[in-house]
Amino acid sequence: MTASSHARDLATLQEDLARAGYIAEPPLAAALLLMQDLGRPVLLEGEAGVGKTEVAKVLASIRKTRLIRLQCYEGLDAHAAMYEWNYQRQLLAIKLLEHDERDVAQKEQDIFSERYLLKRPLLEAISGEAAAVLLIDEIDRADEAFEAFLLELLSDFQLSIPELGTVHATSRPLVVITSNGTRELSDALRRRCLYQYIDYPDYEKELAIVGKKAPEVTAALARQIVAFVQGVRRMDLKKKPGIAETLDWAAALLRLDIAAIDVDGAERIIETLSTLIKTREDRAAFPREVIARLAAAC
Amino acid sequence: MLTAETPPPELRAVERLAGFAAFLRANGFCVGGGDAVQVLRTAERVGLLDGRVLRWSLQALLCGRREEWRRFDELFDAWFLPANRWQRPERREAHEGGARLRSGAAAEPSARGDDNDAVRPRHAASDREALGSADFRTLTRREHLLEIEALMRRFARRLKAIRLRREGRAVRRGRRLDLPATIRRSVPFGGTPLRLAWRNPRRVRPRLLLLIDVSRSMEAYSFFYLRLARALSAELTDIRSFIFHTRVTAVSDALQEPDPWRAQERLHLIAQGWAGGTRIGDSLVQFNREHAPRCVHARTAVIIMSDGYDTGEPQKLSDALAELRRRARRIVWVNPLCNRPGYAPVSQGMQAALPYLDALVPGGDLASLEAALPRILEGLR
Repeated sequence: MTASSHARDLATLQEDLARAGYIAEPPLAAALLLMQDLGRPVLLEGEAGVGKTEVAKVLASIRKTRLIRLQCYEGLDAHAAMYEWNYQRQLLAIKLLEHDERDVAQKEQDIFSERYLLKRPLLEAISGEAAAVLLIDEIDRADEAFEAFLLELLSDFQLSIPELGTVHATSRPLVVITSNGTRELSDALRRRCLYQYIDYPDYEKELAIVGKKAPEVTAALARQIVAFVQGVRRMDLKKKPGIAETLDWAAALLRLDIAAIDVDGAERIIETLSTLIKTREDRAAFPREVIARLAAAC
Repeated sequence: MLTAETPPPELRAVERLAGFAAFLRANGFCVGGGDAVQVLRTAERVGLLDGRVLRWSLQALLCGRREEWRRFDELFDAWFLPANRWQRPERREAHEGGARLRSGAAAEPSARGDDNDAVRPRHAASDREALGSADFRTLTRREHLLEIEALMRRFARRLKAIRLRREGRAVRRGRRLDLPATIRRSVPFGGTPLRLAWRNPRRVRPRLLLLIDVSRSMEAYSFFYLRLARALSAELTDIRSFIFHTRVTAVSDALQEPDPWRAQERLHLIAQGWAGGTRIGDSLVQFNREHAPRCVHARTAVIIMSDGYDTGEPQKLSDALAELRRRARRIVWVNPLCNRPGYAPVSQGMQAALPYLDALVPGGDLASLEAALPRILEGLR
């Protein structure tokens, strides 16, 4: 691997990402490339709605591999994330084996064989034939104990199932971890991962995204939409609109046949605002005058 | 790239690269010893010809949190670009200057110009704020420390015992049948569920959040409270601590530093400009905006330690507390003046705050604090 080939790889990756519909800034592309080189997970942090989860989806699609998603939640335990036994089938099997002549040890071995194993995301990710993309979404929602368990998995790439023994990884997944920062993650996890902070897109980037994802919006309207949303984000809001909200709003405007955002159309813009503003307090910050002011600035 | 022929310039490049991780560590990054090797390996992969690619790659490799991410560019320039080659890590400077911070050392960072902003300790105060940095050396004084730690261990133990509900596996007979585990246990009996497994409510510990007032009027108490926060952090992992005077600053990391001397160093950096005036309302508004969404939720108990002398607008304080009240499970105000004879919460700040508090407890000394513990814990059960 030489430097020039790396630069070429980087350019190719960025093109691939763009073709798959994701506008990636060069630092992100560099990190994704490095992730494959060093075999480290990448940790994406940022506000909700900046496209963290999308990174994993697009990565899977350009690598033409499976995306395995583990959605974290409060109280998620290692078991639910790794594997479970199919109890119902096991119970049936026990009944069926009642009149079987084999001894108990053999029966037990039969019942705890892979046939009765339900693979959950983590086991699935390391036992596939081709390297999959493993998305561990919103890890900050899971508790510290789970994080510690995950660290162990990510360093050894093996799991132990008491009844079956240790399962070694047949392929190493590309691991993408996302966090909204509701909880401080441990230093150990941060150090093991490559880090990327994803901010709200700037004007040019968001315009490119709108152009890509909503091609039916005219260029002039797209520019206005993005300028308006950027203006909204500069306000002191509880929940700032993400990229998905921008696209929803664009769709809503199209639906209502609003061709331009201007001061006169403020009334009609108010009708569509529910796609952009999602809490009551924030809604209160948008009387007609504010909208007119924002629209005038577009 | 860096291997085959190594004429002097390349060797210098290797040295420069190898030192970068240590430079970041000196600037407060969480970077380990092994990372120097990773830096070289990365440089070998991505090459040195395109400085931007190297920058992006090292940024991903060496940063671990948002603050580090933001400061990285300046530090990268400072280390690799010749103009700033001799720039020393800010952290070391600050601690060398620590001893003479009292004698107007705070003019120093601002005199060096604003282009250094990112390398400066983040919470350096503006010149208008009082600059007499408070003395942290007492943080390690043993006789107080031992006493406080004993008290706090007791407190933490009681806190550990209090848990909010959540289901978990029961040892003996519990409330609900755990079907998967029951079937698992039935295997040795040929599928007949002779031994039942139960689920019980597991309990989740409420999270504690400390907001410590370090303004001048609190000078006599704030160090005491900081030591207390440090002792608590050692016992409970899910505690968050903040200090405020005219603005609010997170100090959990600094307090959790296992080495007390280093904890003191880090607090020194954070504390420039404290012991000035108090604007509790503004601080809480800032807290609500920047920190509360991340660390206050339905099982958080917020403990505010302040004397309530607010120079800001009382209405602002009430509004901020009202908002915090909606998020948190409980708000307790610890007021060090409370147990003085004849004290009544008549100061404007206290008046504005009272309607939103679950409890107002005295906390001027260890004894009164210990007596107040039950009221802090009350309602968390």
